[in-house]
Amino acid sequence: MPREVEPSQNEKQFFTKALSENIRIDGRAFDEFRELSLEFGDEYGVADVRLGKTRVLTHITAEVTSPFPDRPFDGLFTITTELSPMTSPSFEVNRPTETELLLSRMLEKTIRRSSALDTESLCLIAGQKVWSIRADVHVLSSDGNLTDAACISIIAALQHFRKPDTSTSGEGVTVYTLAEREPVPLSLLHHPLCVTFSFYPPPAEGNEEGEGEITLLDTTHLEESLRAGSVTISMNRHGEVCQIAKLGGLAVDAVTLLHCTSVALVKVKEISAFIAKRLEQESRRKDVDGKMKTLLSSENARIPG
Amino acid sequence: MATETFVLPGDSLDPELLPSHPTLPLRLGPGLRHIPPSTITPTVAGQLCTDARKNAVWVEYNGGRYIPTIGDLVIATVQRSAVDVYYASISDFTSAASLPQLSFEGATKKTRPQLSSGSLVYARITLANKHMDPELECVSSSTGKSEGLGPLTGGMLFDVSLGMARRLMMTKPVEQGRVVVLEELGGLGVAFEIAVGRNGKVWVDSKNTKSTLAVGRAIQETDEKGLKIEEQKKLARKLVKDL
Repeated sequence: MPREVEPSQNEKQFFTKALSENIRIDGRAFDEFRELSLEFGDEYGVADVRLGKTRVLTHITAEVTSPFPDRPFDGLFTITTELSPMTSPSFEVNRPTETELLLSRMLEKTIRRSSALDTESLCLIAGQKVWSIRADVHVLSSDGNLTDAACISIIAALQHFRKPDTSTSGEGVTVYTLAEREPVPLSLLHHPLCVTFSFYPPPAEGNEEGEGEITLLDTTHLEESLRAGSVTISMNRHGEVCQIAKLGGLAVDAVTLLHCTSVALVKVKEISAFIAKRLEQESRRKDVDGKMKTLLSSENARIPG
Repeated sequence: MATETFVLPGDSLDPELLPSHPTLPLRLGPGLRHIPPSTITPTVAGQLCTDARKNAVWVEYNGGRYIPTIGDLVIATVQRSAVDVYYASISDFTSAASLPQLSFEGATKKTRPQLSSGSLVYARITLANKHMDPELECVSSSTGKSEGLGPLTGGMLFDVSLGMARRLMMTKPVEQGRVVVLEELGGLGVAFEIAVGRNGKVWVDSKNTKSTLAVGRAIQETDEKGLKIEEQKKLARKLVKDL
């Protein structure tokens, strides 16, 4: 099967030369993200993130199932990633590539293992009925930095999602439709985001001792294929690190890593603020003339008891 | 000649748009389909172009992947070397084209160029067949001269759309293709060297990194944002100012 053409010698040489002159191919600063855009769907829990030419769409769905017998109080939360041939011909259906495995593993560690979603709040009747929340991540186009884009997309979708309201009476659970009762947001404990740093060996001319490797943020596909190593740091906007993943590659100085975490915090704060801003704009867009509150209150008043 | 007519797949074409010639038969180019007896419909969305002298009509569209055609100039990446041929990739996910090691200007068994894996060559396609791998050459077989073809050293490769590559390669890019950004940059004193491959690759080289990137970015932005002539001039001035 013919593969993707690797970057040519000319591109590699030009890229290294440009880096040594502190220039990136697309003219960004080393720690600058590409233009981030976030759109929400008409349904709850659909978030479409664009980071330059990378585009990731996440769809959150909820259904009522029975919990695992060993965890009767915990709801289910699954993240499924899909890299279809639409993204790039190198991805085949039903045959996960290394990229896909690493991506889903990273999202799992960042969002699920750090218990961003409070699974206990998804319990309806202990041991019998719980909510199962499923996040489907579709990568629509890939131009590098999939992990960060996918993470932004899931976190934004989870915050946008509303699950149907329910009431329990004894053994019975009533799930109300969107028309009957206002759906309720998920209980998120924190909002972790990933920031991926790519490392490049220092240019040969600057042979000074103190000079370390070059670190780039939000790499494009070309930059990603030329990097010597990468570190993905996940943290929330309070600066709590959820995980650090460094999968082989260039040896990185401890001081550089510390510096990376502080840069990551700045970026995570920026992105969190952006998501919050977009969510607020979205809720204002749906809430025409601010009538939602009065409408809802009168609705509730009519329910007896 | 590009007309202002925009066609959609399945449109019925106005017979007046088609060229007529007393002797030559009508030649249909890419994007058109002849349904016997006498219907011609577009199969893609794009701009209808006609050439009255050749009695040809085709649809100019900006998309799809590159399909090799005889006589096209392409920028290929050398993958590996065999006994007497190099294998070079023209586009992603297609099998490699073969480039005989003796088809360079003045190449003999002893003086043939040594190309390592990852080198770029500017070559002409000599064989293109649906069922066979394409073949390339870097020398004109009739004159024995390179005519600008051969290995590309230094510089940087930029990806553009196929439509943009065609526009840049037109005999009069300014009038026919409405690309003025390169002329503008040249007029503003940026010296550069450029090679355009029909496979959507543009190779740019100049004295320093910044001007190479400026030229590459000018072409890519013109392509992606579909800039008009005035906007291209503005972009060129902005890029030169930043140098």
